[in-house]
Amino acid sequence: MIYTFLITETGVDPAGGKMKKTIVFGMAAFLVCSSTIFAWGSKKTAKADPNAPVTLTVWCWDPNFNIYAMNEAAKIYNRTKPNVKINVVETPWADLQQKLITSLSAKKTDSLPDIILCQDNAIQKNMMNYPKAFLPVNGKVDLSKFAQFKVGYGEMNKKNYSVPFDNGATCTFLRKDIIEKAGLKVEDFNDITWDRFLELGKIVKAKTGTALISYVGNEPDLIMIMLQSAGTWLFDQQGNPYIADNDVLKKAVSTYAEMIKAGVCLTVTDWNAYIASINNGTVASAINGCWLVGSISAVKEQAGDWTIVNTPRMGNVKNAVNYSNQGGSSWMVMANSKNADTAMDFLNRTFAGSKELYNTILPSSGAIATWGPAADADAYNQPVAFFGNQKIYTAIVEYSKHIPQVKYGVFNYEARDAVGVAMTKIIAGTSVDAALKEAQKNVEFQMGY
Amino acid sequence: MAGKKTLEMKYKNAGWCFVMPAAILIFVLSFYPMVRAFFLSLQSGLANNLHFSGLRNYIRLFQDEKFLASVRNVFIYLVFQVPVMLFLALILASILNDKKLKCKGLFRTMVFLPCATALVSSALIFKSLFALDGIVNTWLLSLGILAEPKNWLQDPVWAKIIIIITITWRWTGYNTVFFLAGLQNIQTSIYEAARIDGASSAQSFFRITLPLLKPVILLTAVMSTNGTLQLFDEVQNLTAGGPGNETLTISQYIYKLSFVYNPQFGYAAAVSYMILIMVAILSFIQIKVGDKN
Repeated sequence: MIYTFLITETGVDPAGGKMKKTIVFGMAAFLVCSSTIFAWGSKKTAKADPNAPVTLTVWCWDPNFNIYAMNEAAKIYNRTKPNVKINVVETPWADLQQKLITSLSAKKTDSLPDIILCQDNAIQKNMMNYPKAFLPVNGKVDLSKFAQFKVGYGEMNKKNYSVPFDNGATCTFLRKDIIEKAGLKVEDFNDITWDRFLELGKIVKAKTGTALISYVGNEPDLIMIMLQSAGTWLFDQQGNPYIADNDVLKKAVSTYAEMIKAGVCLTVTDWNAYIASINNGTVASAINGCWLVGSISAVKEQAGDWTIVNTPRMGNVKNAVNYSNQGGSSWMVMANSKNADTAMDFLNRTFAGSKELYNTILPSSGAIATWGPAADADAYNQPVAFFGNQKIYTAIVEYSKHIPQVKYGVFNYEARDAVGVAMTKIIAGTSVDAALKEAQKNVEFQMGY
Repeated sequence: MAGKKTLEMKYKNAGWCFVMPAAILIFVLSFYPMVRAFFLSLQSGLANNLHFSGLRNYIRLFQDEKFLASVRNVFIYLVFQVPVMLFLALILASILNDKKLKCKGLFRTMVFLPCATALVSSALIFKSLFALDGIVNTWLLSLGILAEPKNWLQDPVWAKIIIIITITWRWTGYNTVFFLAGLQNIQTSIYEAARIDGASSAQSFFRITLPLLKPVILLTAVMSTNGTLQLFDEVQNLTAGGPGNETLTISQYIYKLSFVYNPQFGYAAAVSYMILIMVAILSFIQIKVGDKN
């Protein structure tokens, strides 16, 4: 490389004058071009006429789920407001968060959309860090008919900044055929404790050689499910980390570690491997948010093999119930939107007001509403063939009524990560107390910015 | 006299013109952000609520277990991966440089081919090889070496080894090309003379090839060190830093600080400056050790 460079340097044309002009011209052209491109981005058009065409840009992910739902909502809204075009841009969650933070930090908001979909886990964080970036929906979108635990995620200073979308109520998805091979019945898994679940897992493992459940190794999702089912979280009411002295967490972590050590729970490297382990029969069950219905139903040959029951609860823990929440997301209207009122009206008439919408999207995407009236829609009371004609949606809507409300807090991701690291240490042999003490210290460190 | 001077000036101007576009781009896109990043690294706070805090971020680094874990991981990769890779590359280059070797073009292509693979693809290939139901487990099970499938990437030690194997597979060919270019600049007459004097091929490798390749070895060592300290894609796709913090790299931590956690841009900038300082120190040592002149 060095040699070639020397050779080209000695080969310079002595008539450099002409060359210089060309280069200067080229660079000027480059600068002009780039500034025109940047200028395009910031061009604005003002609109006053209510029937003038309006375009609302929406960022969300998953073509079979969120994007599909948004497009269906657009069709319904267009019947009354044909002038509003909903432009859905597919943006995976990690990219969305990255673009959002970059634009808001650079105070360059004209590249941002009008509506975003936000993971419930991240709403508090985004609102606190960029309080002026989102608009309160109070008075514009009717939130009264949504499940209250879900509305709470988007609350800041008595105002609400998010319109709930999909349900994250957890359920136990069971492979009927495998557990029956182990001599167990579906009812054995309903309304049980985690200790009982572990025992049943040992039976399944001994009789069939199959692990009962799997999780992504780096993500402490199961711990989060356990915590919320007992109405507690990694932070206390004042927002201080509540890890080292959290007895519920200690119990959750110990149970999880025990399940892994007994071979009842498999840990896999990533989400794809997780779905694969469920789809190819490596495990006999999955406990996660009800949005997993879509991924499970993807394997048509397993029709009739699956069934759902409620989530195990934590034994001997006050207020612990058989219901929890995992994942889920909500719509947020951006303050940079030039058509914020239209965006609010759109959400109010569709996601917060259209039974038809939820009735349409449920059968084809499995997106279960957190909007109360949707539960009377026909689709919710139909038996589902894949799940042996069980009325799973009726069951899930019922589960979601009992989910304890918790506040995820601003430093949720830091705390999740720290608990995940503690989990790895506990499995490797560190004591629960020592590992959680360290996790507490690490979260406090991140909060001491 | 005057004519000669203008010719010389023209000559110099031409040189500047060639250098300027690249220089301006490097300055605007690289040096300016670097200076801004340094000022950013002196500020603390979340998102845009930053305030000047002096060297506080740099002091915090040494109390940050996650940062220290990432530095430790990166140095493990560095110490095991770079020497192994450069040694392999040297051997491959020597073989490919052999005059008697047939199908040279084919072998050269084969050695260089991994380099044409995108970083993410190579990581995904190795991930599927070492998956729970991957080909490695299937083989080891059928050979009776393992009793039940091993969860390679969830094991702290094996995860590191697989990352090292992946990087080595991906980058050995790249370094081989540098060595090949270096080898072709060594006169064959030197080897012939050595052979007449009765030197074995091992002797001529260690006494002739290695010393004459020193500048190229230095270049590849500095480049590989630099690359390893900034490792991101491979680890992100293979293990995402897990299990726990066991494979986390410094660049991944910067990403987490900026986009996964509450954005702490000042602190993230301080972490990235630590990479710069480490690269500078290591390159300095390598140049001092490698180049005695």
